[in-house]
Amino acid sequence: MTLETVFFYLMAAFILFSAFFVVTARNLFRCAMGLAAVLIGIAGLYLLMDAQFLSAIQVAVYVGGVVVLVVFAILMVEDVTQKEFLRSPFSRNVASGIIAELLLAVVAGAAIVQGFGPPHPERSAAQVREIGRALLETGPGGFALPFEVISLVLVAALVGAVTIAGRPGEHDDPKGGR
Amino acid sequence: MPGLLHYLVLSALLFAFGVYGLLTRRNLVAMLLCVELVLNAAALNFVAFHRFLFHGDPAGAVFPILIIAVAAAEAAVALAIVIAQFRHTHNLDARAADTLHG
Repeated sequence: MTLETVFFYLMAAFILFSAFFVVTARNLFRCAMGLAAVLIGIAGLYLLMDAQFLSAIQVAVYVGGVVVLVVFAILMVEDVTQKEFLRSPFSRNVASGIIAELLLAVVAGAAIVQGFGPPHPERSAAQVREIGRALLETGPGGFALPFEVISLVLVAALVGAVTIAGRPGEHDDPKGGR
Repeated sequence: MPGLLHYLVLSALLFAFGVYGLLTRRNLVAMLLCVELVLNAAALNFVAFHRFLFHGDPAGAVFPILIIAVAAAEAAVALAIVIAQFRHTHNLDARAADTLHG
């Protein structure tokens, strides 16, 4: 058992424990902290797969951006100390558990049956240079169009978020009309 | 040495956790957090395939970046909707959001 294997199982246990916490914790703030732990664990797995750039992006954008945004939203809209957290009835929990278990069986079963043969002898991960070239390459194997589309999506999402969450009436003319 | 299958099974487990949470949670913000779990399971799959099966083809590293960008946009819009709904109803219950229900 190599150090890599030990690290993988430690990380996997950490991720699954935190994911369980995200799904079951009654306090919303603790859910968000559990999600941050899951994301950091996955960044660790990226490091284990030699994807240092993805690992850095995961920590910077996800943990530093999305989770902080979620925490702000939780603190703004909800009294996190409230004891009366809405829960589904027990029968619904059981049914959902069965559905999730079936999905797990199908997905993991497909992966195990397929097998995928032995790994490529010279395993390697894309370096930052290759990722950057692929993102700006217009020919086959390039991702210039998705890159541009995702930037449009981000702008549209941010403008939309400001519009939706802005105080009603803030930008409206009180005498009708915009 | 952990192989492709290890990562695929871990990702499937994470996906199942996310789906279970999505089905059982009634709080809108908690449901959003479960969606993030599912998205991360998908990104983990991309990186594992890219590393172990496709010899570092950059496509497998580009897609997780796109997933992270989409997740950030989705979180921004979803939280804006949550804040707007909370302002209207002072409630985050998914079942209370039935104004558009015929």
